[in-house]
Amino acid sequence: MRMPHIGSFLLGLTLGALVLPVSGRAQERTVVSKQVSVGRSEAELRLEFASGDPLDISLHDGSVFIDGEVVGAYQAGDDLDAAWRTLLGEAVRLDDGPLAETLRDWSPPSDLEGDRLELASRIDTALQDALTPRKAPEAPPAPSVQVSVGGEGDAALVRALLGHAGRLSTLEEALKDAGPNVKLHIGENVEVGAGETIDGTLVVVQGDARIDGEVHGDVVVVDGTLDLGDGSRVEGDVRLADATLHRDGGTVEGEVVNVQRQERDLEREIRDRLREELRSEMRSELRNATRTRSSGSSLFSPFRALFRTLGGLFENLVSVLVLGLIGMGIVAFAPRNLDTVAETARRAPGRAAMVGVAGTFLLIPVWVLGAVALAVSIVGIPVMIAWLPLFPLAAVAAALLGYLAVARNVGEWLSDSGYRYTDRIRKSNPVHTIFAGVLGLAAFFIVANLLRVVPFFGFFRGLLTFAGVMFGIVAMQIGFGAVLLTRAGRRREAGPVDFDEAWERAVDVEVEVEMETTAGADGPAREGAEGEEDA
Amino acid sequence: MRSRSALSTLAVAVGVFVALPHALGAQDWRTVTMSRQRSGEDDLRVQVTYGAGRFKVGPADPGLLYRMQLRYDQDVFEPRVDYEGNRLHLGVESVGSSIHIGKDRGGEMDLQLARDVPMDLDMKFGAVRADVDLGGLALSRLELSTGASESTVDVSEPNSLDMRSASFEVGAADFTARHLGNLNARHIDVSAGVGEVTLWFDGDWRQDASVSVSMGLGSMELRFPEGVGVRLTKDSFLTSLDSQGLVKRGDAYYSLDWERAKRKITIDLDAAFGSVKVVWVR
Repeated sequence: MRMPHIGSFLLGLTLGALVLPVSGRAQERTVVSKQVSVGRSEAELRLEFASGDPLDISLHDGSVFIDGEVVGAYQAGDDLDAAWRTLLGEAVRLDDGPLAETLRDWSPPSDLEGDRLELASRIDTALQDALTPRKAPEAPPAPSVQVSVGGEGDAALVRALLGHAGRLSTLEEALKDAGPNVKLHIGENVEVGAGETIDGTLVVVQGDARIDGEVHGDVVVVDGTLDLGDGSRVEGDVRLADATLHRDGGTVEGEVVNVQRQERDLEREIRDRLREELRSEMRSELRNATRTRSSGSSLFSPFRALFRTLGGLFENLVSVLVLGLIGMGIVAFAPRNLDTVAETARRAPGRAAMVGVAGTFLLIPVWVLGAVALAVSIVGIPVMIAWLPLFPLAAVAAALLGYLAVARNVGEWLSDSGYRYTDRIRKSNPVHTIFAGVLGLAAFFIVANLLRVVPFFGFFRGLLTFAGVMFGIVAMQIGFGAVLLTRAGRRREAGPVDFDEAWERAVDVEVEVEMETTAGADGPAREGAEGEEDA
Repeated sequence: MRSRSALSTLAVAVGVFVALPHALGAQDWRTVTMSRQRSGEDDLRVQVTYGAGRFKVGPADPGLLYRMQLRYDQDVFEPRVDYEGNRLHLGVESVGSSIHIGKDRGGEMDLQLARDVPMDLDMKFGAVRADVDLGGLALSRLELSTGASESTVDVSEPNSLDMRSASFEVGAADFTARHLGNLNARHIDVSAGVGEVTLWFDGDWRQDASVSVSMGLGSMELRFPEGVGVRLTKDSFLTSLDSQGLVKRGDAYYSLDWERAKRKITIDLDAAFGSVKVVWVR
């Protein structure tokens, strides 16, 4: 039997972690952390020692607490409160050794009496108990580990440790609750003959054990075979990990435990539980899916699409109505601004769109920079407070004005287009043209909603919605740009004047007016119009 | 009826005005002192957060990992100390969701940090008057972020470690950093929003360094010690540069002794609005 030094050391370390119980050591009363809190209604001292246990003494709202328990009462400003606060005043400046010494040396002031004195004594005792170094508890008999390695000694041991790192957890499980004295045999067979006795735990790793004598402790076999002969006796448990037991009688006073089987059982249990959970999850998913599908073909299913269509149409119409009403407001209060913006959007849509896109990108930087620039001066700060909410509102108002101006142009275009029913749009009435334009721009969405009732038209519906969004964005950008170019319609944007177009527009208006005013006597009017055209 | 409601409104208004000073005066101040002993820390990642009040940072006595003294309104704030592994988080945080405005309402935080523990320091403070002395700390990295504050950062003693980077992020503040050479940093990043910033590049320069300075709006003063070579490149919008003692060559400004200087600082300046002034100090 060889006792390799390095191997023993390594294994001793491993087993030390696995087997040995925590030996009692002297706990030093080092104060690692201190907290002193003083407020109007409380004065608290909280200490944490190197061993991890805390001490918490506080006088809080008329009660005295030691480690969270109420031990008595005091009155704010009484002698006890004053004495405790004085002590904390000293403790604030100190740490560790001097702090512990000061607190330990503290004793209740002589002027305290009655309940207060008793409470102060309890605090003193708590401080003494916590801060006096504790006696080390009686050390248990020194644990011992004897290691025996078969084959190539050190090399075999190291190889066994490194090569079977995965087995360490099994070994740990096998050695659970093992006694302090361990005799470990690695890679060799062990025989305990009749009449022989082993005191402590016998551990055999990668080897066979034959026991005909007595073991006053556990027998642990990992990756091997255990033969218990007739007349053998094991006072503790027999623990087998990846090992086989042959038993020809003998006595095992403890239990025979198959560690790996236990692990396997546990694994199986976990696996079964997981499987069951997965199954129930899938079942509930399926149930939901089935419910959804079955509800899809319920009595109301033919009407569901219709309801959705009606809902969508209602949404569209409300949007049109709201935008139209806003347009009416603009026509009533700022007709010239609307005209100027609409004219700019019509004359230079490309330029307006580019300005609109640039303006959109610059909105946030301008907002932020403006706020920063205003924030630097005292005068600017109140302005900044107004700037922060008003700038986004102004931007939204500009976008709305621009959109409605473009909508008006769309309405005029529809009026001129000659489509069926569009001739009913009165071009001379901006309210008409705005409503018509908004409706025209919303037409894609309306048609997309109508297609909801038709099955298999999902793709077209998506296409129409996309087109509607794109047209909306373009209209918004052109309008916003036109608003920026014309300073919200206050400044007419100079552009090339198309005299022919202006003349034609003037002539168109004249003709319409004539037609309306000479209804019923159209002969001369028509002649007059033709005469003008000739001219 | 109307007169009664007007009277009651008036009574409420008077009540508010009468009660307001009392409410403001009824702050429940609490003083807390916390300290922890060192226990073989090899390195530490320290995060410090502080909202409003006076803020002071300095080195701790030997043997201490930190000592923090706080004075705060316990109805509004609560202290925070988390120490786990090598992470230490110190500071105060708001109780509830109330908003607190003002930079000096009587709150104080005095923090001392271990001298010789290699430290990765991240400090964030809001509306405070900060007096930060990093001299004597062993800093491997520094991040300082401040909101609307009057802050002075001084590196009064050289940093014993080679610092990877130091970053100062300043919001709307009056910010002064002294002895930046003592940081022993390879790269210093200063990002200032609005305010007045003064950077002293004095101290013990033990290696060449690059400095990135960006400023939104305000005035900045760069103070260099004589003997240190300075190369400054500028990318600005509406910023005036008083490049005293610097000579323009190509796209950059150079100090007169740039070629001969033992230690060189390369400054990359990016400023939007304001003024930048270079000052040489003996």
